[in-house]
Amino acid sequence: MNAISFSQVTRAYGDVLAVDGLDLDIPAGRTVALLGPNGAGKSTSINMLLGLLRPTSGQIRIFGETPERAIARGDVGAMLQEGTLIPELTVAETVGFVRSLYPDPLPLDEILRMADLTDLAGRRAGRLSGGQTQRVRFALAIAGAPRLLILDEPTAAMDVESRRAFWDNIRAYAAQGRTVLFATHYLEEADENSDRVVVIARGRIVADGTAAEIKSGVGGQAVSFTMGTQSVAGLDTLPGVIGVEITSGRAVLRTSDPDATVDALYRKTTLDVRGLEIAGADLEDAFLALTQES
Amino acid sequence: MVKHIKIEALRMLRNKRYAVFVVAFPLGFYLLYSNLWGDQVDETTGVKASVILMVSMGAYGALASSIMSTAVPWAQERESGWLRQLQITPLPSWSFIVTKLIVSMLLTLPALLLVGLAAVLTQGVSLPPGEWAGLVVAMWLGVIPFAALGLTIGSLTRPDTAQPLAMIGMFGLALLGGLWIPLDIMPETMRTIAKVLPSNDYATIGWRIVAGEAPPASAVLGILGWGVALVAFAIFAFRRATVRA
Ligand SMILES: Nc1ncnc2c1ncn2[C@@H]1O[C@H](COP(=O)(O)OP(=O)(O)O)[C@@H](O)[C@H]1O
Ligand SMILES: [Mg+2]
Repeated sequence: MNAISFSQVTRAYGDVLAVDGLDLDIPAGRTVALLGPNGAGKSTSINMLLGLLRPTSGQIRIFGETPERAIARGDVGAMLQEGTLIPELTVAETVGFVRSLYPDPLPLDEILRMADLTDLAGRRAGRLSGGQTQRVRFALAIAGAPRLLILDEPTAAMDVESRRAFWDNIRAYAAQGRTVLFATHYLEEADENSDRVVVIARGRIVADGTAAEIKSGVGGQAVSFTMGTQSVAGLDTLPGVIGVEITSGRAVLRTSDPDATVDALYRKTTLDVRGLEIAGADLEDAFLALTQES
Repeated sequence: MVKHIKIEALRMLRNKRYAVFVVAFPLGFYLLYSNLWGDQVDETTGVKASVILMVSMGAYGALASSIMSTAVPWAQERESGWLRQLQITPLPSWSFIVTKLIVSMLLTLPALLLVGLAAVLTQGVSLPPGEWAGLVVAMWLGVIPFAALGLTIGSLTRPDTAQPLAMIGMFGLALLGGLWIPLDIMPETMRTIAKVLPSNDYATIGWRIVAGEAPPASAVLGILGWGVALVAFAIFAFRRATVRA
């Protein structure tokens, strides 16, 4: 069964189409990254999935139910992109309360252990650091032992070290057959922690597959050369080119066919091409190519 | 819900601002005023000022508590994302507002009981058991309109607006309702305003009970009317604040 299913989901804020005809099925038991730059529509999609926002059109199902019913049944736990705790309450009080709202929660000790909070159990939320607060919010998300865990940019406030420990905890939770969907704009994070990456830009899915598939499928190569002050007009229409980027006087052309692109560059343009380089794209390049295309 | 009530009450009791305005203020002023004027006797009813002040300060404490424990915390929860955090759990939203109302009412008890206790211990106030019981029940149920007002403010405004509105509501209702200064020495216009405020109805019910009289129908109807209107408004505002957009 699909844990998550979006069909033709659209969401507009006034004139802005934040999510534009999203179709996405996620089978139960997978860990999926929703990867995209800021403003891509990740949070809007997640908030609709959690029943916090109403889609302008289209339909969303969680384990075959409406989001409201799935949440009422305790099937879903989530860490939203933003949120603070009640400063006067301790970690154990906060987690203990939220777990009591679910029909079949994890034991309190186990939740605290899984979120590395055992030593902080008695601390008031108002005295936690940013990273510690994130861990409590993670604890709240898993407290009810939900079958589906949703995380919206969960590591934003963390340093590298705590980020690693945090992902270990999420993987441990997912390993028990649960479904995890997380949003991120960090490529390595998507690459390292998911078995499927859905790339989203301007409210649409622009790629969907394993990190390796995305690397090989798109913008395999980059042709770059020194532009100086020459005009960029026409570069994007050269054969094979799927993206053009100019940084400090250097043009970088993402291309699916570097031979054809280079050939056309010399023969079909009047540009003075110097310092030509051809390089294989990494995931970062693929991501940029995907999300900058129109 | 019991657990929700418990943590909500706990967080307010740990809040210093709450303790100062709601517990220390009425208690401190009761001790001060009753030491100054406690032995004066009201000519028409024959009730000592120490008893009247007990009702006034208890009423102020309960009123302040019911607004303080609702308006700003609720506005903050909406803004900080705590509401959303709970909206994605199985907690139904009706339970949320009912809990807030119950907690707000429970939290009026420290002020009511401490002022009463201070009156008994320091001023030797004594009332027949029936009057004590009637007083506590009336003062306790009578805060419903104020709690509803606080919840309405919290639903409609952001924390930085809710804060001054709650203060104005709390002190305005207390002052204009005659809780701090007796109505008899107020100018005519202020007295007219006081007559329509729920805070005056609220305190009047208490003052009449300690005078051994039945509360006047006008005050009971007044507070009932305000109660129904403000609770309806609070529910409407709450739904508006929690509905998904
Ligand atoms: N409440 C809102 N009102 C108007 N526009 C919004 C609102 N929330 C998001 N948007 C717009 O919708 C788009 C998608 O935003 P969002 O879903 O937050 O993206 P992401 O989470 O991927 O960074 C952006 O263009 C953003 O400016
Ligand atoms: Mg976002």
